[in-house]
Amino acid sequence: MSKNLTPVTPRGAPLVRGNKSHKNTYAPRKKSFWKRLMNQKALLLMSLPFVIWLIVFRYIPVLGWIMAFQDYKPQNGFLGNEWVGLKHFRDLFNEPIFYRALENTIGMGLLGLVFGTISAILFALMLNEMRFIRFKKITQTISYLPHFVSWVIVANIVTTMLSLEGPINDLLTSLGIFDGPLNFMAQPNLFWGIVTSAEVWKSTGWNAIIYFAAMAGIDPQLYEAAKVDGASRVRQMWHITLPSIRAVIIVLLILSIGNLINIGFEKQMLLGNNIVTDKAIVIDLYALNYGIGMFRYSFGTAIGIFKSVVSVILILIANGFAKRIGEGRVF
Amino acid sequence: MKKHLSVLLMLVLASMLTLAACGDDSASDENDSSGENGGSDEPVTLTFFSSDGQEKAFDDPVAQKITEETGVVLEMDYPVGGNDEAIPLMIAGGEYPDLIFAKGDLGKLIDAGGVIKLDDLIEERGDNLKALYGDQIDRLRNSLDDPSIYQVGTYGVEDEPMKTSGTFQMQLEVLRELGYPEINTLEEFEDALTTYYEMYPEINGQKTLPLSLQGSDWRWLITVGNPAGFAGGFPDDGQWVIDNDTGETTYKFMLPEFKEYFEWLNGMNAKGLLDPESFTQTQDTYISKLSTGRVLSVADQDWNIGDARSALIQDGMENRTFAPLPVTLDESKTHQGLKDYGFAGGWGIAISSTSENQELAFDFLDWMASEEAQILVNWGIEGEHYEMVDGERVMFEEVRESLNTNSDYPRESGVGYYIYPFPQWGTGAVDSNGQSITRDTREQVIDDLLEPEQEALDAYDIELWVDGFPQRDELEVSRHGAAANFSIPSGSDIQIIQQRADDITEQRVTEAVLAEPSEFDQLWDAMIAELEEAGVQQLNEEMTELTQNVRELWGTN
Repeated sequence: MSKNLTPVTPRGAPLVRGNKSHKNTYAPRKKSFWKRLMNQKALLLMSLPFVIWLIVFRYIPVLGWIMAFQDYKPQNGFLGNEWVGLKHFRDLFNEPIFYRALENTIGMGLLGLVFGTISAILFALMLNEMRFIRFKKITQTISYLPHFVSWVIVANIVTTMLSLEGPINDLLTSLGIFDGPLNFMAQPNLFWGIVTSAEVWKSTGWNAIIYFAAMAGIDPQLYEAAKVDGASRVRQMWHITLPSIRAVIIVLLILSIGNLINIGFEKQMLLGNNIVTDKAIVIDLYALNYGIGMFRYSFGTAIGIFKSVVSVILILIANGFAKRIGEGRVF
Repeated sequence: MKKHLSVLLMLVLASMLTLAACGDDSASDENDSSGENGGSDEPVTLTFFSSDGQEKAFDDPVAQKITEETGVVLEMDYPVGGNDEAIPLMIAGGEYPDLIFAKGDLGKLIDAGGVIKLDDLIEERGDNLKALYGDQIDRLRNSLDDPSIYQVGTYGVEDEPMKTSGTFQMQLEVLRELGYPEINTLEEFEDALTTYYEMYPEINGQKTLPLSLQGSDWRWLITVGNPAGFAGGFPDDGQWVIDNDTGETTYKFMLPEFKEYFEWLNGMNAKGLLDPESFTQTQDTYISKLSTGRVLSVADQDWNIGDARSALIQDGMENRTFAPLPVTLDESKTHQGLKDYGFAGGWGIAISSTSENQELAFDFLDWMASEEAQILVNWGIEGEHYEMVDGERVMFEEVRESLNTNSDYPRESGVGYYIYPFPQWGTGAVDSNGQSITRDTREQVIDDLLEPEQEALDAYDIELWVDGFPQRDELEVSRHGAAANFSIPSGSDIQIIQQRADDITEQRVTEAVLAEPSEFDQLWDAMIAELEEAGVQQLNEEMTELTQNVRELWGTN
């Protein structure tokens, strides 16, 4: 237990004592900016390429947002178009399909987030408890595989499995749970569930990696101590493993909440059909069909701006929440 | 550690050198081969985007011959997964391929200044094109406001149909079993299916499916929407029905004939005659079902089920292939399968404004319209794919066999691959020796008939399936071509409203078909109300104006 006597910073690095520059912290700030700059020039130089990358690829494109306030036609150049103010936003908010798309996007996004996170943590927990190393490694590798399969193929697997003459209907009918086969893909109310299940199947193994890695970093002495105190396996998971990776869970959650609205459209487009359209249309698909697909560049941009604004708000809320419970916020 | 590192470095260096050497080799090879072709006549690569294209290299025998004649190698690009965004993205990026086949999106390219006017080029050096289009050349013109020519149109000029496509089709075996009954109405069609289904609830050990559709993706339009129009006795004008006298254009789902058809389909579903997966299955599933021979009928385009047909023939189930039938709602309607749309005009290949080889590109297109080129793209190479017997072109037996059974054959050999979407001579056109240019001559089509098909045709006492349809001279010639080929002006509301209307109909019609028959009326009326709210009235008015403009431009008013 002597280890606990050494003071440890939150990040785990030992505190450096007797640092000579210590008193500078309290010195007046007159030269300090340039001095600090020069002191850190190596670090600054190293980060410079990334800052440039960020500006070129993430900030300069934001200039394109002015398209949303014009009737943009490519042949007129960037500034040669008629300015129309908020017309495209008004069009967007007057569109009933847009609200349906928004509801579906957030609905499926939330389901994916909740079940995706829970399944990944559970899987990582189980893997972590496994003592037979070779089996553990093989299981882990196999569980990654679906991540590398494209959605086109996954969609085909899902529709085949769920088809009228597919294995799932065969199984349920022969077990007597169903009277006759059910056409799963024709049930609008099942659509969110099907998409979420497919997503969980595809991504659980991959998402578990980071949790699993976090668990591997937990000090074994904690478990030993708990064992000495007579804690069962389940108690150890609950009181040691989960609290230890709490910060990781929260940070990952915040990051994915920001992406809640960016769930893409591949799964919905590939699994959807005309019967379930009401439950399958999502914002990105809407933007594709009614925006750029019709040469309405401005309208598409307006949708993009709307999505960015929503994302920023969601991140701020989630981060504020994390701040309040005092746990691993992002900024 | 250091040793390891240096070994690794050596390896990397060595592999880089080999790679570089390889690069040199292939480069010099290319130079050599072009040198043999005669010095400066190195083939020029033209990029070609086709909205209906496929993954394909320009290296088959026919392509090589084209390169030899024109000095052009095509680099073919195509939209991935049939998406609609390729042209908008092209415009947004401002980079165009040399040749563009944009279908209905040509108008946007014109507005964006992405394509050039061809009028002068045609006048100066387009002899083959002038000969091909003749007095139909006005049909290539863009619009009343801008009557220039921007594209050289696809689809045959002087077409004489030997085949129909897109109609109701029934298995030959069903017809045979029932003693080749006369089937001209939906009622007779349904009766035949019911009778056969009761006799054979299973085929080859699997459940029989009397009628299967493919309504889960864009093919909804060709297997659900269009057959309704054919049954109603309307020609194929996409989502429209156009009055040939007045040019009045109506969004087709507003018409009572369409309600009647879908009510019938609703009944088919209620009676268990419609494949319950018709609106959820993927194209792969659909084709594999058809290939097992247990689907008794379809309402589809021939080109969409070609794979299934090939598979059936290969598996020795020729009797399970399909026969096209002139089925309509009732006797009062006339099937328009053989309708003469005239030269359709609107779609064709354009030359981009950014191309560095505009003249060459034009000469290439002009050459493709020549007699020599048309024989090449239709028949292949003499001595390799066909031979001359008594002054007539005769396809080699194995080539014909492959064309009938292997749907990939045109893509592998190039025979027939470069007809569409290039300028093409129609099925009625003849060469300077009076020989048919296309392979679809009456004799050829008769020769290609499968045995059970021959038997069925004999029983019906006709030579070809088209003989069973109302003949061309009974039908009026379309004055506007086909509405699907209209170029919709950009910035108009037509597009947005139509997209909305199409979204509504695809969803609501499907719902209505699958509903309880007692609910059908109510669901249908709700859909009509929804369409009216979406602005279908305005849509009809604007489309009518567009139709009338086309007629004025073509001088057919």
